[in-house]
Amino acid sequence: MQKIVKIKKGGVTLDTDAESLRVEVASQWKLTWWKFRKHKLAMVSGAIVIILYIIVIFCEFIAPRSGLTNNAKYSLVPPQAIHLFNKGKIGLYVFGYTSTRDPVSLQRIWVLDKETIIPVGLFVKGEPYKLWGLIPADIHLIGALNPEDPFFLFGADRIGRDVFSRVIFSARVSLTVGLVGIVLSFILGILIGGISGLVGGTLDNIIQRIIEIMISIPTLPFWLALAAMVPINWSPLQTYFMISMILTLFSWMWLARVVRSKFLAMRNEDFVLAAQLDGCNNMRLITHHMLPSFMSYIIASVTLSIPGMIIGETALSFLGLGLRPPIISWGVMLQDCQKIASIANFPWMLAPAGAVFITVLAMNFLGDGLRDAADPYQS
Amino acid sequence: MTVNTAPTALVTPVATMSDPNHLLEVKNLKKHFPILRGIFSTVKGIVKAVDDVSFFIHKGETLGLVGESGCGKTTIGRCIVRAYPPTNGKLLYQLVNLSAVDLGKLPEKEAGPFRRDIRMIFQDPYSSLNPRMTVFEVVSEVLRVNRICPKSEMQDRVEALLKQVGLRPEYMQRYPHAFSGGERQRIGVARALITNPRLVICDEAVSALDVSIRAQILNLLEELQSDYNLTYLFISHDLSVIRHICDRIVVMYVGKVVEVSDALDLYINPRHPYTEALLSSVPLAEPEGREERSRIHLQGEIADPSNPPSGCYFNPRCRFAQEHCQSFEPQLRDMGDNHFVACHFAEQMSLRGVIH
Amino acid sequence: MTSKDILLDVKDLRIHFFTDEGVVKAVDGIDMKIYRGRTLCLVGESGCGKSVACRAFLNILRSPGKIVSGEMIYYKLTEDNQIDIIDIAKLPPKGDKIRQIRGKEIAMIFQEPMTSLSMMNTVGDQIVEAILLHDEMSKENARKRAVEMLARVGLPKPDRLVDEYPFRLSGGMRQRVMIAMALSCKPSMLIADEPTTALDVTTQAQIVDLIRDLQKQLDMSVLYITHDLGVVAEVADDVAVMYLGKIVEFSDVRTIFHAPKHPYTQALLRSLPKIALEREELDPIKGMVPSPFRRPSGCLFNPRCSKMMAKCASVEPKVTVLNENHTVQCLLYEE
Repeated sequence: MQKIVKIKKGGVTLDTDAESLRVEVASQWKLTWWKFRKHKLAMVSGAIVIILYIIVIFCEFIAPRSGLTNNAKYSLVPPQAIHLFNKGKIGLYVFGYTSTRDPVSLQRIWVLDKETIIPVGLFVKGEPYKLWGLIPADIHLIGALNPEDPFFLFGADRIGRDVFSRVIFSARVSLTVGLVGIVLSFILGILIGGISGLVGGTLDNIIQRIIEIMISIPTLPFWLALAAMVPINWSPLQTYFMISMILTLFSWMWLARVVRSKFLAMRNEDFVLAAQLDGCNNMRLITHHMLPSFMSYIIASVTLSIPGMIIGETALSFLGLGLRPPIISWGVMLQDCQKIASIANFPWMLAPAGAVFITVLAMNFLGDGLRDAADPYQS
Repeated sequence: MTVNTAPTALVTPVATMSDPNHLLEVKNLKKHFPILRGIFSTVKGIVKAVDDVSFFIHKGETLGLVGESGCGKTTIGRCIVRAYPPTNGKLLYQLVNLSAVDLGKLPEKEAGPFRRDIRMIFQDPYSSLNPRMTVFEVVSEVLRVNRICPKSEMQDRVEALLKQVGLRPEYMQRYPHAFSGGERQRIGVARALITNPRLVICDEAVSALDVSIRAQILNLLEELQSDYNLTYLFISHDLSVIRHICDRIVVMYVGKVVEVSDALDLYINPRHPYTEALLSSVPLAEPEGREERSRIHLQGEIADPSNPPSGCYFNPRCRFAQEHCQSFEPQLRDMGDNHFVACHFAEQMSLRGVIH
Repeated sequence: MTSKDILLDVKDLRIHFFTDEGVVKAVDGIDMKIYRGRTLCLVGESGCGKSVACRAFLNILRSPGKIVSGEMIYYKLTEDNQIDIIDIAKLPPKGDKIRQIRGKEIAMIFQEPMTSLSMMNTVGDQIVEAILLHDEMSKENARKRAVEMLARVGLPKPDRLVDEYPFRLSGGMRQRVMIAMALSCKPSMLIADEPTTALDVTTQAQIVDLIRDLQKQLDMSVLYITHDLGVVAEVADDVAVMYLGKIVEFSDVRTIFHAPKHPYTQALLRSLPKIALEREELDPIKGMVPSPFRRPSGCLFNPRCSKMMAKCASVEPKVTVLNENHTVQCLLYEE
């Protein structure tokens, strides 16, 4: 069970238990991971977030069509659900469409036709594309076996574009516009918060007052004002980066406050004084001794601010002041909903809202889980 | 481990010690902290944490610094290691023979050798070790930052030192959370001694430990002192621990020194009323005769260092106080036999000790 | 001693903490008798379970702690001088019956006066609240009683202090306020959980003396939890020494200090630095307290025991009754 080892200056009990050894040599990160693992909701959300970003990377492959391919014939068709059984045979398939004309408005109305069976498969040949704009291919994850057949998992919009494909391509934009902002606010937040917390005094005072003033400004009108100032003749990519900057403008402040309060709390810990007495300068103190302590907090904070950015971009684009076609994002897609006569008749157009909802929820749960696991020394 | 040597050469001595046997001389040390209030941090008052303190430490001795909260003992320790710049006064540290430097006025560039020569052991074994660094990293940080030795040598030095403090060197790669309070304190001791210092400040080094572990660490500190010729400044509020380990004792009250004496003499023959009351407050681990033991009760509360009484700071609580005490601050006076007291009426009083 | 003399009889109390990492047996079968009008000191180092045990007597255990088995028989003295026998262990923790005991029969003071008093209410309000919870009287009378209690615990200008907020008081004063609050309903027993550990030496002496005086005046039992053997020597009538959830030795204070039988008690006394003429070498206990998840088999103290025998590593000692007021749990004394 236990071995006792006698050493000249006092005695020490040696544990040879394997389990305890595992815990004792575990680093901070391992302990955080073990604690995170216990949070089931966060684990599931983490998996969802990983899947979302896989979609972002491989969206040309995963989406059956490109985001812009349109087929005016199939305007506003309803979604096709995937079925497994067809008259005793197992296979993936969807129902086809028949159309009727509405006698009053003369509009063509599409409905699902249970008689028409369209076989569907995985890894099918479909529209050619270039993965990341570089690698030509034409295999899609899922699609109709006959590329001519209609395949609209989330239905189609007014000009016959596949909503499902558009949601997937939009993910690439919506989920990455936040990231650029995150990196920027990460750097700004740590730098400014760190200086504020470590140096203290007048500088800290000034920085905090500036932050407080800026935080008091209502964000949405401020963003709208800035977004409206973006010139229309800028290229989509320039607009994309500009929107990123605007979204970052506020988020770094919250991180700076968190970092500052952590620094202030830690400044008085004995191990910081010990490091200073060892001769560490401020830079080494921050990077080697203090930051690693709450890196997990920062990661949690950052994860929790991503949903804010996604919603910010969605809101701006929805109002027409953010990204514009031909760039598609969830917000841009939702803008189309404004033009539809009645959402009640074509509810699948709100699919991007569902995507935003799931993403934000998953990110929030993930961030919560990370924050709870962040301090493994806390019980 | 080689015997420690004083920092030399690169530093120009600017002062002289009064006695070659003194390793450190504290002269009229003052450390005041402003009280800041309001949005613009205006100065509303001053906390006189250390108010005109003078004492010295002999080479190789253990000097006890004892007092209750607010007496300034921790602040003095921090001033000596240069964590706080003194508001006033001198901290003379001996280089060789009589030449010395004033630690308070040392420019940052020249401070390196003194950071290595004067080290500190902290009170709380839980907050004094960075939970994100391994034992090896914690103990060797000072070697790394000051480039004292090449990386290849670091491992050997840390190993040797861990053995000295009674820890298995194989534990080097573990993190502090793997260790108990007593073991962490040993790590703290190793960290303090890795640079071969001459002076070690023990800031309540055993106060946060369990009773049985306290004894282990005290024994360890005593062994190391004789092995490496260390000088200790032992800061504590625990008079039993102080009795055990210290050679001489400085008693402090609200930023001032009230009594300095050889250890045994203080307990047999205290000459300041505060020391007398302090000693009588210590619970004796002996139930026999407890009904007969009468305690000296002090009225009132410990004085506020930001608003101390006029004259002698202790006068509102002193049972011998006279009118003179309210107007005039007593100076530290030599009573003979290495015994110094700051009290106007020290000669007239006959106070009770706790050792007979 | 007749049963009238026993106030609280604890039998085989077990308290387990069901944590994520496993079950911690914080209190592992303790037997204890607290007599009326006497002070019992519960001594032990960190992790021995003394704080957990005293919280169990009022059933205010922090989760995930639970009383797993055992009895806590309280002999309540009613107005007509009868004895009501109540098993505290069986009372539901959130019920009315246990609330009638808390504060009225058994009161408790804690280590940190900073966090035990509400900063949002005046001192007077807090004491009056305690009084009105248990006694029927008007608010004015309750306030009068509060001022009386403040004077009794030695606070200056109690009629002014009663309207003060705790954050304006020093640590020693706050502790006195806590004692006043605890004693305002004249309980039969006061549990003091390390009440002076966070205080200065001189303040500690004042509080220790205060508790001792009040105990005599009110003929109250006191359960004093501490790790400071000096305080034990000063206040205790009886002493229970705890180690890793078990009471290893129980006796009156003089026996514990002059003729201890358990090797842990002996080692503890030997490791104390003493204020004496000769500077003796300290004799520390080797090793350290094992983690609660890696408890030794057999006698819990055996890895650190200087008198360990071969069988100590496999056989758990039972409680041996040495004489009427002295029990010890050690294989050295088992037949």
